[in-house]
Amino acid sequence: MRSRRACAAVALAVATATAVAACSSGSSSSSSTSTTTGASSSSGASASTTAKVTLTWWNNATAQPLLGVWQSVIKSFEATHPNITIQNVPIQNEQFATKIPAALQSGNPPDIYQQWGGGQEATQVTSGKLTNLTSAASSWIGELGSAAVGWQVKGQQYGVPFDLHVVGFWYRKDLFARAGITATPTTIAQLESDDTKLKAIGVAPIAIGSKDRWPDAFWWEYFALRECPAATVKAAMTSVSLGASCFSQASTDLTAFLKTNPFQTGFLGTPAQTGAGSSAGLVASGKAAMELQGDWDPSVMEGVSTNKKLSSELGWFPFPAVSGAKGDATAVLGGGDGMSCTTGAAEPACADFLQYLDSPAIQEQLIKVASPGLPANPAAVSAISFPAEQTAAAVDKSASYVATYFDTAMPTQPGENLDNAVANFFAGSGSSSAIITSVAGPA
Amino acid sequence: MRRKYTILPLTYLVAIVIGGVTVVPLLFVFVDGFRTTADINNSPTGLPHPWIWANYSSILTTAPFWQFLGNSALIATVATVLAVGLGSMAAFALSRYVFRGREALFTLFVSGLLFPIGVAALPLYLLLERLSLLDNQFGVAIPEAAFALPLTMFILRPFMRAIPGELEDAAMVDGAGKLRFFVQILLPLAKPAVVTVSLLSFVTSWNQYLLPLLVFTTTSHFTLPLGVATYQSQYSQNTGAILAFTALAAVPALGVFMFAERYLVAGAMGAVKG
Amino acid sequence: MTVTLVAPGSVSSRGHSPGPSARLRKKIELTILLGPALVLFVGFVLLPIVIAAYYSLFSWTGYGPLNDFIGLHNYKIAFNDPFFIEAIEHTLILTGLSLLVQGPLSLGIALLLNRKFRGRAFMRLIIFAPYVLPPAVTAVMWSLMLQPGGFVDQVMKSVGLGGLVQQWLANIHIVLYTNFVVLTWQYIGFGIVLLLAGLQGIPAELKEAAAIDGATPWQVTRRVTIPLLAPTIRIWVFLTVIGSLQVFDVVWILTGGGPGDASTTMATYLFLDGFRSLEFGYGSAIAVILFAFCFVFSIAYQRFALRRDTAGALTGVVG
Repeated sequence: MRSRRACAAVALAVATATAVAACSSGSSSSSSTSTTTGASSSSGASASTTAKVTLTWWNNATAQPLLGVWQSVIKSFEATHPNITIQNVPIQNEQFATKIPAALQSGNPPDIYQQWGGGQEATQVTSGKLTNLTSAASSWIGELGSAAVGWQVKGQQYGVPFDLHVVGFWYRKDLFARAGITATPTTIAQLESDDTKLKAIGVAPIAIGSKDRWPDAFWWEYFALRECPAATVKAAMTSVSLGASCFSQASTDLTAFLKTNPFQTGFLGTPAQTGAGSSAGLVASGKAAMELQGDWDPSVMEGVSTNKKLSSELGWFPFPAVSGAKGDATAVLGGGDGMSCTTGAAEPACADFLQYLDSPAIQEQLIKVASPGLPANPAAVSAISFPAEQTAAAVDKSASYVATYFDTAMPTQPGENLDNAVANFFAGSGSSSAIITSVAGPA
Repeated sequence: MRRKYTILPLTYLVAIVIGGVTVVPLLFVFVDGFRTTADINNSPTGLPHPWIWANYSSILTTAPFWQFLGNSALIATVATVLAVGLGSMAAFALSRYVFRGREALFTLFVSGLLFPIGVAALPLYLLLERLSLLDNQFGVAIPEAAFALPLTMFILRPFMRAIPGELEDAAMVDGAGKLRFFVQILLPLAKPAVVTVSLLSFVTSWNQYLLPLLVFTTTSHFTLPLGVATYQSQYSQNTGAILAFTALAAVPALGVFMFAERYLVAGAMGAVKG
Repeated sequence: MTVTLVAPGSVSSRGHSPGPSARLRKKIELTILLGPALVLFVGFVLLPIVIAAYYSLFSWTGYGPLNDFIGLHNYKIAFNDPFFIEAIEHTLILTGLSLLVQGPLSLGIALLLNRKFRGRAFMRLIIFAPYVLPPAVTAVMWSLMLQPGGFVDQVMKSVGLGGLVQQWLANIHIVLYTNFVVLTWQYIGFGIVLLLAGLQGIPAELKEAAAIDGATPWQVTRRVTIPLLAPTIRIWVFLTVIGSLQVFDVVWILTGGGPGDASTTMATYLFLDGFRSLEFGYGSAIAVILFAFCFVFSIAYQRFALRRDTAGALTGVVG
């Protein structure tokens, strides 16, 4: 669920970089005179025997600057594909969870829609309405590197990412300096001692938006990544089972960490992204020093604060190592946004559009204007201008592996159950064993 | 009756306290619409400083708000007219006729109260799709009317039952049929109840969120609550503007209540004077 | 016109000879009166609900065909889930509180507002205003005010109650009651308006007659007004219980059922563990269970209420 909120934040972002509308002349793709073979086009389109095609596109860019980016992308795509019209339908992020199942169940789903890969996508594939893009994308999907794997179901490409996210610590360099912290923590022990220093200057060490549940999961999942070797994590996601003992160890680590009271007062009732009292707002206003969040956080912070110096005050560091743990100290938790085509959409028009979104020029435009996170296409990484995000990008690149957030990697049902179980654990009303068993069945 | 007025100071005191508790949070929303977000963040409970009109004026002068308002008004009106019109007819039948299965039928209608609309959302969505009512105001108004029927009838039937049989007999003697009696005598007498259910129907429809969310994809068809949510995501950083939008969204329903209130009182007077 | 006391159920077409044409006419009239409502109701309410209940027999993600029939298994899971049981407890607590707290409060306020005093119409508007506010707005507003150090805390401090300040939304022991307070704020106007409508149906002559006979205002209220208000009160109780059992919007947005599961209700559980988790079959089963709660109450209540009605109530002017 969190990546959806991330996208809401993305949609609200005020770019930290200058807005350069790089008009792309991406005409490299095959000129698609998209006559479809029998499969009719989407709602409002003309019959398949003519060359004209309309594609409806559901995305979560309801606000600037991403809204403007998509609109300009549509224009430039249509300019080079005169027989294709793309109808932009922005839908508020939180509403996707309600509208997509209904739409995929009906006879008329949107042609292109946004989704977040992993097990959620796998669940959507069972509707039978998603287009298998493996062959259509085979010529260019390799450009995206390993990121594309997150959008495969059983080795088949059913969706394509257009941006990526990584979860780490966003921190206030000025507050760290004031507290006398000279280097960012590389172990949990150091983090805990830094917390003490921050409390001494009257600042909440770490902000967390527990009211929304999903921020809690980041913590548990990172401890799991530190305790469990990569193979164990991957196997757990595939088999949807947290039985390996390292997962229980993660809960133990988390319990010990929670005992040090690292969060702000009343954190159980704090939302993550809405308003100045949210965890993002607390860091933005200097009431808290750090937050473990995805790379959409800076844009969220800018949205809930009037702190003009924020971008120069923010830094990033990865989740610290846990001493003695058997997992990977450089593993990174992340995710991304992607798009899928539905079976009613005209091909190859739809696949061509997805390819267009991932083309280096469009990716650069996306990064420069909307800075939604990391680009799906590594060729555009150099377009990132925010230093903290550059740090994140570098860590992401050098990470031994990137694990998708568990609630996206697994199908929706166990994913949601896991989030709930971790939230209960944070609230003190759930046990660590409940976290383990949560993925096994309803509630 | 001098005795009555000794109670009055207590009445006033209670009224003030209740009024205060009720009104202050509302004022919060309304007044904060005149503040900048920075102002709100700095002192959550202060008065506007500076006092800005921009939030309210920008909302009132841009098209979407009025579109949302118009949609909400249209849908709520249609749903209310349908629900109260059909509901009062049915309540009349169930209160003034005797026939087999009457109580069972009434129970059937009332059972509609026992399900939250969210449960029926998915099958309803598919039904509306089959009827080509998606992205259409009637696709929202008709189900809303249907879901308002149980409450409407539940409240109207007892009121209609309470009208004495003598009135009906008198009407018969005068040569009026049962239906004439319904329209010309019963309905006016049941006015307080009819106004009440109309009001409840209208407000429920006005605040409905889930159904419009499912049915509408085109923004210009959105109702106000959907509009507020969309507006909120678009301007999430602008707390002041969101609160202004919210305050404005509540005004029409309040206006309807003010309007209806007069009829509530007048109707009761009419019933008593006879 | 005098208010004639009529025994219930005797409202019928007295004095008509039930000839065949009259019967036919009655049938036609009934069809005209009941038909449209019935069609609308069955088509758009009953049918979807029955279909939803059908879903409860399956394990279904909402995608693809319905092909995983598991019979009553969902129900078994539900009742074995301690979180669901807890949600039921919370719901029952909220329902009980609604009756015990909101009841007398609504009644008292309605009685007060029924008197003539300056600004009465304005007061009625104010009281009803929260009901008109979308629950989403109410919840957002109150969550802002209930933050640590927020508006509520400041007001309490300023009237000297600073020692009672709690973490209204973060304390798992009181968050349910915080929800109750906000719910009361939102919905009490509905009850008051309902009771006012009932009060205004009570003829002033009866009260005047009692007063002339020497009754004090309190006695008039207790012996004349409230009993005559009984049918409206019964309606209020019914709607309040049903509404409380189904409460969702405000709780969901205010606390999301949290922290953890400290303020879950049956409906938030349905949403979170049913629909959000893409378990439409399970969610539908929870909905059916919720319906069963409401249904059992409704049957029991009708029986109880009806019995009071026929056992020599004060008047027959009841529904």
